[in-house]
Amino acid sequence: MAAVEVTDGITVEAGRARTRRRVLVGVGLAVVFTLPFWAGAYPVSIATMIGFHSILALGLVLLTGLAGQVSLGQAMFYGMGAYISALLTVRVGLPSWPSIFLAAAATGIIAAGVGFVILRLRGIIVAGVTLTVNLIFYYLIMSMGSVTGGATGMIGIPRLVYPGNLPYTAFIFLLVWLVVLALLVFSRNVVNSRSGRALRVLNVLSGGSEDTAQVLGINTMKYKVSAFVVAAVFASIGGSLYAHYTRVIEPSTFHVQLSVIVAIMVIVGGVTTPWGAVIGATVMICITEILRAVAPIVLGGPTGAYELVAYGVVLVATLLFLPEGVYSLPKRLKRRRRASR
Amino acid sequence: MLRAEYMATRSGFPHGSTDPLLELRRLSVAYGRLVALKDVDLRISSGELVCIIGPNGAGKTTLLKLVNGLLKPSSGEILFRGEQIESIPAYKVARCGITQMFQDVQLCPTISVLDNVMTGCHVWTRAGFLSTGFRRGHAREEEATMRASSLEQLNALGLTDRVTAMPRELSWGEQKLVGLARALVAQPSLVLLDEPYGGLMQHEIDKLSTLLRRLTCGGVTVLMVEHLTDVVMDVASKVVVLHYGEKIAEGEPQAIRNDEKVVATYLGE
Ligand SMILES: Nc1ncnc2c1ncn2[C@@H]1O[C@H](COP(=O)(O)OP(=O)(O)O)[C@@H](O)[C@H]1O
Ligand SMILES: [Mg+2]
Repeated sequence: MAAVEVTDGITVEAGRARTRRRVLVGVGLAVVFTLPFWAGAYPVSIATMIGFHSILALGLVLLTGLAGQVSLGQAMFYGMGAYISALLTVRVGLPSWPSIFLAAAATGIIAAGVGFVILRLRGIIVAGVTLTVNLIFYYLIMSMGSVTGGATGMIGIPRLVYPGNLPYTAFIFLLVWLVVLALLVFSRNVVNSRSGRALRVLNVLSGGSEDTAQVLGINTMKYKVSAFVVAAVFASIGGSLYAHYTRVIEPSTFHVQLSVIVAIMVIVGGVTTPWGAVIGATVMICITEILRAVAPIVLGGPTGAYELVAYGVVLVATLLFLPEGVYSLPKRLKRRRRASR
Repeated sequence: MLRAEYMATRSGFPHGSTDPLLELRRLSVAYGRLVALKDVDLRISSGELVCIIGPNGAGKTTLLKLVNGLLKPSSGEILFRGEQIESIPAYKVARCGITQMFQDVQLCPTISVLDNVMTGCHVWTRAGFLSTGFRRGHAREEEATMRASSLEQLNALGLTDRVTAMPRELSWGEQKLVGLARALVAQPSLVLLDEPYGGLMQHEIDKLSTLLRRLTCGGVTVLMVEHLTDVVMDVASKVVVLHYGEKIAEGEPQAIRNDEKVVATYLGE
């Protein structure tokens, strides 16, 4: 009975806001999933990159946003997905579709082992250790030249096979965004569930406590490792798709720089909501592309250094003015409008 | 797993008839070289409301931490329903039917009152990461049961109009009640309370006393740390006095009040 009361308690305004949000999401989905049919090759390729980064960032929503475990190792698991998938298809001769699943499973198992060791540490140290492990991964790939191709990487990775005669870039675009959508729904379900609450209770960064969680019956280690594995599997799926998309991979793509950028993306977008990951990836990739176009003309020289500065500026600005990320912007504007009325 | 099933999986009857419910045997623990508890023996039967008193630093909070599993004793045993629990991890102790409200409550600040209370249902539910992520049927059912139980518990404590509030919007007294709701929704057989009366206003104190009496009448056992006030004398069935980690007296509240040793070392001043 009480449940009914609560539902009734939701105001008409909240109901309207929900309708507006649904319309917004509907329009967004329609625009995204028709993009390859009306937009040019350049916007489609940018949107594909946004999709890949969204997949990486979505992993951090549960792990960092909810559980408070700051991981700077997403690029490593992205790399594992890419390399395992590439090795299975190029060296073993497996078809490409199953290799994606095998890579995801293998990455998940490795992540469980790594997480089991690392997540014993409490607090922000986890960030440093995951970063170090990412570095080790990078040097391993570089040094195992006979298997991984070393610094030059791997070439000749086969395409994914699909029915119909859609152009390959359009197919990959749709596939990547379908994966983004699926992972977004998965993450959102976890956020609003028993597991999501357990992760939030043990989050020491946002005022929770592992001891309190334990006394509530929450196996903190199991939950932290699960979130770590989920983040890794997301990244691995993204990495495998990336390998079959570009068909050439090199170690520098999976260096710690990407891990850091992904972490910045979720902070910029809003770390506690799956939408924040997609928003953050979109904002950051758009900034990169604008800089690439504008910087050489206005400032001269190569753009690499400007990009890093821009990321730093965006990160600091977010932390100062929108600590809950761009996702919280509409809510903030509304609150301000109401206050000024 | 629904609540009824959970109760059935726990040894004994729901609010067990095994006696004593909790037994501490020569329990000792040290923080480095500081001996916080020394050879403490204690037997608590079902339905009792035992109050531990003692000056600051006597080891009262430490004793609760040993029972809930957050701290491991250096020697001695803890038996719950006759089974040793002193070496199992805290989250498993919780599943045996022991819950606690901390001295500072420790609600999770990022989720609503209702969600906080729902975390108390963790012990009798089991949907994991994948089933919640894919919203499998049993996960949805569980979620609905947790929600209904939590609302019922909040309702029973008079917090129905606070369900959507965030913890920071609550008064101290309300926070304590929410903490209590979170502990009770777990369907515990033993509730640990660390200074539950601390900082409460008079009407909240009366409410809490009524609530504790109702709990013990329902067969729930309470072990709490408090100062020996008239209110506590009124609800407690037994008082245990700790002094520098040692148990120096135990008995009915009135007897403790008149115990010479206790008066001399603790109540005297
Ligand atoms: N984590 C800890 N590390 C070291 N000493 C501690 C710790 N917790 C408590 N103590 C010490 O143990 C003794 C008992 O503490 P505690 O159980 O909190 O006392 P009480 O709750 O009775 O006031 C005190 O002297 C306290 O300083
Ligand atoms: Mg204390």
